[in-house]
Amino acid sequence: MSDVAITRRHAGRIRISPFLVLVAPGVVFIFLFLLLPLVVVIVFSFWRTESYNLYPDWNLGNYHALLTEASYRTFLLRSIVGALIASVICLVYAWPVAYFIARHGGRYRLLLVLVLAAPFFTGVILRVVALQGILGPGGLISITMAELGLPPIQGLMYTQNAATLGHVYLYLPFMVTAIYLSLANFEFALLETAKINGAGPFRAFFEVTWPLNWVGSAVGLVLVFIPCLASSITPQFLGGPNATSFGMRLAAQFNEAGTWALGSAMGVVLFLCSLVVIVLMSLTINPRKSGLTARGLD
Amino acid sequence: MTNKTSEAIRRLAMAASLVVLYAFLYLPIGYVIYASFSVDTDWPFPPSFTLDGYFDLFESTLYFDALVNSLMVGLGSGTLSALLATAGVIGILRFRSRFRGISVLIFLAPLFVAELLIGISSLAFNAKVLGLSGNMLSAIAANTVEGTAFAFLIVFAQLVRYDWQMDDAAMVFGATPPQVFWEVTLPTIWPSILGAFLISFILGFNNLDISFYNLGAIPTLPSVAWGSLRHGLGPELFALASLTNGLVLVVFAVMYVLMTTGLVRFGYRGT
Repeated sequence: MSDVAITRRHAGRIRISPFLVLVAPGVVFIFLFLLLPLVVVIVFSFWRTESYNLYPDWNLGNYHALLTEASYRTFLLRSIVGALIASVICLVYAWPVAYFIARHGGRYRLLLVLVLAAPFFTGVILRVVALQGILGPGGLISITMAELGLPPIQGLMYTQNAATLGHVYLYLPFMVTAIYLSLANFEFALLETAKINGAGPFRAFFEVTWPLNWVGSAVGLVLVFIPCLASSITPQFLGGPNATSFGMRLAAQFNEAGTWALGSAMGVVLFLCSLVVIVLMSLTINPRKSGLTARGLD
Repeated sequence: MTNKTSEAIRRLAMAASLVVLYAFLYLPIGYVIYASFSVDTDWPFPPSFTLDGYFDLFESTLYFDALVNSLMVGLGSGTLSALLATAGVIGILRFRSRFRGISVLIFLAPLFVAELLIGISSLAFNAKVLGLSGNMLSAIAANTVEGTAFAFLIVFAQLVRYDWQMDDAAMVFGATPPQVFWEVTLPTIWPSILGAFLISFILGFNNLDISFYNLGAIPTLPSVAWGSLRHGLGPELFALASLTNGLVLVVFAVMYVLMTTGLVRFGYRGT
């Protein structure tokens, strides 16, 4: 098919490329409602806010503040480390789950995946409050421990670990789904070949299944890392006083503080951090070896 | 023999990991249901139950409005996302073009931008560039951005295996492109489109970060939850969430029956 928007056929009849008819609406939509607003945020990050108004005097003051004030560095570093830990935990736990659904789920595969997604029908706030109700002082675990005459578990609640547990809880389904989607296109027959050639189950996994489905793991890592990095509600409710995250400060600039220019600069920094991870991940993907794209694109 | 045993043990261990994950995911949901019936959201012993949360829920217009608004955001962005993503995937997989790579990248781009950032950037764009205050269409558009990326990922991963020769064959026998879509393509791929719709519906229905910055004072379920946090979540919210989960459970039960009896196969091709 031609990739020119409009090609002339015979005597002046105009034919539009089906590729463009199908792909353009989505691309234009995302351009208008995602990329354009992001450009606006980049522009605002070089402006100045004063008493809730934006002034277009171009300056680097917002970035200067972010670089020089130690608290922002602490928040950002804390968010990055927390997001990395949550992503790795999700990756390790999601693999056996996704593998089981893809290989042994049979006709119930779709249902088994949807059961993972259904908790999202209950809002994030309700689920985080519920976690608080289970883990917190006076919660299910503490009360049970007390009834049994056991000492309470230290650091169960209002610590960085509790926030990480919250992140794993919220985003593990993303990781499972990403790995599952990759495994759904994987030829499990390859494992039989590996076995015939003398590979044990672990060797077959690490030399065949894992590398051929790395794209699923990589997409999953990105899908978990990015919301954890920007997370504001989870650390606010589960993390306690020492877990203030970059996302919490960022949201505050657009809510009570009203300093949109600084908030925009924080948004740009957040986006750049995500971009580093995305680029690193995409460098590890070999499109010719991945289950997701091997047959689809060239 | 030993090989078979160890294979069975591995399978059992993986099944256990799935069951533990389900338990982990649904424990807080169980708490929400418990809290909807409980007089006190702590853990008094013995617990005392009441239906007050449910009665209050049905008497309140705020929660009803919030539910309707959440449904509008969810249905609007779910439908749009599924349509845009499905069309995009078919275009990209079926037709050659030098814009293929960049198109895939743009469709997936929203996955790389945090919800919070989608929220504040569309707020900045709407308020300062377009001069719009919070409104439903902006919220649907911003949620559709995220939903389209997830829908694209889901439909793409399933359609990679689709055999387009079936469509070509239908064309050879004289079917028009719309006929081919309705009679050949859609009957095969609808489970992926349904999955994509459901995921983007759920994301939009309960979205806080994106919707909050786009809706202004218009309440949705998450923003009502957010607003009532200061004086503790009302039992009405727990009641509403419990009813939602009850409905989801019924839908899953129906799906299970359909799958077991083989009435609807949801794309499963084995026996």
